[in-house]
Amino acid sequence: MSQLEPRETVAGAEAPSTHGGALRHLGDVRFYVAVFVALLCCTLLTVAVSSVHLGALNLVVAIVIASMKATLVVLFFMHLATGSRFNAMILIVSLMMVGVFFAYTLNDTGRRTEVDVDQSAKVSPATGLPAPGGAD
Amino acid sequence: MATDSSSRRPTFLADHFDTAEQQADAAKLGMWVFLGQEILFFAGLFVAYGVFRSWHPDVFSAASHALSKPMGTANTVVLLFSSLTAALAVRAAQRGARHQTTALLLVTIACALAFLVVKYFEYQHKFHTGLLPGQWFGVPRTFPGGAVMQRGEAAPALPAGAGAFFSLYFVMTGVHALHIIVGIGVLTWILIRNLRGQFSAEFFTPVDNVALYWHLVDLVWIYLFPLLYLID
Amino acid sequence: MTTATTDAPTPHAGHEPDPRESYIETTHSLAGTKQGALSWLTTLDHKRIGIIYLCLVLLAFLMGGVFAVLVRIEHLTQGKTIVDADTYNRIFTLHGVVMVFLFIIPSIPAALGNFILPIQLGARDVAFPRINLLSVYIYVLGAGFALYSLIHGGIDTGWTFYTPYSERSNSFVIPMLTGAFIMGFSSILTGVNFIATIHKMRAPGMSWGRLSLFSWGLYATSIIQVLATPVLAITLLLLILDRLFDLGIFNPKYGGDPILFQHFFWFYSHPAVYIMIVPGMGIVSEIIATFARRQVVGYWFVAMSSLGLALLGFLVWGHHLFVSGMSEYAAMVFSALTFLVAIPSGVKLFNWLATLHKGSISLASPMLYALGFIFFFTIGGLTGLFLGMLAVDVHLTDTYFVVAHFHYVMVGGTVMAFIGGLHYWWPKMTGRLYDETLARIAYGLVFVGFNVTFLAQFVIGSRGGTRRYWDPPPQFHQLHVVSTVGSWVLGLGFIVMLVMFVRSLTGGAKARANPWGSAAVEWQTSSPPPLSNFAVQPTITRGPYDYHLATPDELSEDR
Repeated sequence: MSQLEPRETVAGAEAPSTHGGALRHLGDVRFYVAVFVALLCCTLLTVAVSSVHLGALNLVVAIVIASMKATLVVLFFMHLATGSRFNAMILIVSLMMVGVFFAYTLNDTGRRTEVDVDQSAKVSPATGLPAPGGAD
Repeated sequence: MATDSSSRRPTFLADHFDTAEQQADAAKLGMWVFLGQEILFFAGLFVAYGVFRSWHPDVFSAASHALSKPMGTANTVVLLFSSLTAALAVRAAQRGARHQTTALLLVTIACALAFLVVKYFEYQHKFHTGLLPGQWFGVPRTFPGGAVMQRGEAAPALPAGAGAFFSLYFVMTGVHALHIIVGIGVLTWILIRNLRGQFSAEFFTPVDNVALYWHLVDLVWIYLFPLLYLID
Repeated sequence: MTTATTDAPTPHAGHEPDPRESYIETTHSLAGTKQGALSWLTTLDHKRIGIIYLCLVLLAFLMGGVFAVLVRIEHLTQGKTIVDADTYNRIFTLHGVVMVFLFIIPSIPAALGNFILPIQLGARDVAFPRINLLSVYIYVLGAGFALYSLIHGGIDTGWTFYTPYSERSNSFVIPMLTGAFIMGFSSILTGVNFIATIHKMRAPGMSWGRLSLFSWGLYATSIIQVLATPVLAITLLLLILDRLFDLGIFNPKYGGDPILFQHFFWFYSHPAVYIMIVPGMGIVSEIIATFARRQVVGYWFVAMSSLGLALLGFLVWGHHLFVSGMSEYAAMVFSALTFLVAIPSGVKLFNWLATLHKGSISLASPMLYALGFIFFFTIGGLTGLFLGMLAVDVHLTDTYFVVAHFHYVMVGGTVMAFIGGLHYWWPKMTGRLYDETLARIAYGLVFVGFNVTFLAQFVIGSRGGTRRYWDPPPQFHQLHVVSTVGSWVLGLGFIVMLVMFVRSLTGGAKARANPWGSAAVEWQTSSPPPLSNFAVQPTITRGPYDYHLATPDELSEDR
């Protein structure tokens, strides 16, 4: 009845992960090289696109391509595709926090003087034009 | 009967773990948590970049053209290749192929060193042409030997605010380069341990985890490259 | 202590410690020694590491407390009392820096968490003992830099290091920033260790639903430590570089944005306050369960609210910079989110009250601190809501109202929980009991002293009394005197407590395994615990608060 009994099963209460450590399956060399080639193609693509004038879209395309490369590295070189789901969660939560940091900070820096016309701002940072109702 | 389980315990298994798998899983999880924190560390730099670029998009665009796209692209390719060799090194270690692991680790380290060499030339060029951070942008300087650079002489016609871009450029690539140097250090440590025969098909976790770190360094560069070098 | 059966597997293959030897008598160390100074300095045992941290944070608390007393003494008279204005700025800054970075952030996780967490999980140690030891030395190194700055006069920027002043101040800013930067990594490594430990080192049968609420609290805290602290690191690094090289990131003179610094700083420092409070709430759950002798009502609500605080805590940092010049639009968003973050705290409060209701309550000293926490944290939390309201904050920000608010939550909250936990686990850690009468006297002094000190400050603040002033306007003088006298009573309470603990160590009665009659796992092993925590690794068959499932033997105070 006591809590203290000789242990019957080993390790933590989680089911042992069949994709952890030494039990992970062996990747194919050709597959790794194929991923590398894909990464190279993406790199050449992003350099090529950078000389095309797409305006605001340039940044979007660059980030999208970079994210494709990052996804390839994370899924296949870092084995998240076959590894523990919790490790993937760690990455996702970290990226979410980066997103929060970005979004809320730029929400401020991009919107200075937007609501309160009485704020003593001489020049709106976003446009460089004199702020409405700016200080003397 | 009190069993002496020490004969069943592999030498690489630490006392506080029950099984090799538990140890490997814990180490890997810990490494991913550490990578999470590295991501947040670099995130600050990217946010600062985002803020200043959103405020001065033209300055950033002009300043970005002053960077060498060929060198940046070369460094990107080198780092991607080093990620490949690092992943292959882990695979070799997983197969217990000691010599292959050594060779692949050596190539990875060589790529890292090549990256730093290219970086050195990039920095040197900027120092000589006055493409410097903040206050120092375009400032007249006297070089050893007496040659004097006048303000705006070598720095291409960039707006004065370009100092902000180069502040971020140097801090971001500098912090990244520091991580490369640390990476070279830990890769070398793993190489030495591998040469000493400490790894096998049953135990190669340190190789796995150091490779994860190396991939992170690559990931950061994957974003740094377009944001710094490829602004239209 | 149950005796091991003869065919039980030995818990620590390879090195066979005598199961009767406590962690104080023997250890695993990097140096290989089992006793002596080197065995402590290079110990790999989480319990010894916890004790080392405990000593370090208590020293820090003493140092921060001395600065606090000096701050209050300066307000005893108008004009100069003991120091001039510049020195006063340095003293309150150092009070903040020492208390936040050297004391409160590591306090519960590193000192109590390191000791108790593995035992509550039924594990032999944390996942990465060497990294645990490394975190101690990183803390010491960081503290060394801070002390170096202190010896050279410290800094006068406020613990928040706001730019542009922190870039102009001719005090020893960079060593202090370096110290804080380094200490951040101690915090990060503790977080990494705890997450891996909780995931991978639980004893057989320890499902997530059987985890102690302290463990849940530490889990949530570790997530915050890992995600938030690196942003502090990069912020301090950028500030150092900005100061050294005039980079113009935060300095408006060179094109930078000081509000950006505040965003960066508070992105860490707001979640940091959850690093401070969430483990404290975990301790309160433990104490209430034990001294009300029942299952915590709404276990999953309490557990999930810790995670909720961890996640929501990342969304509200802007409420520290409402009046900084940030966009009004963004301020409104942050204000709305700030209201949200009060909800998980409220969930816990109601669950504790429900647990107390119809519980079989014993008012032992740890329980007094837990009840005190509920009182103080309610006041602190509610006043936080006042500050979260934009229109009200415009008037209350940078006044003593803010100072009183955060002291209620940090001292009335975290420190009370820390001390309560220290009382609670003292018999387990030291194998000794302390004098209950002295404990109550100390508690009374602390309770009264704290309220006098900080209630007066709420009044000062709501009447417009600005913080960080060396010489406050005369209309607040009387209230300042009241606050200062309160601080003496509070300090006296801590001194009585110190005497009590020293006497316990030097001659206190021996404690048995379970002096409180608790059902939780850590009380099923001896006081102090053996090196590998349990004579035989436990198999967990029930939750830590399942008094209805526990056997009389497990709850017995006589083992």
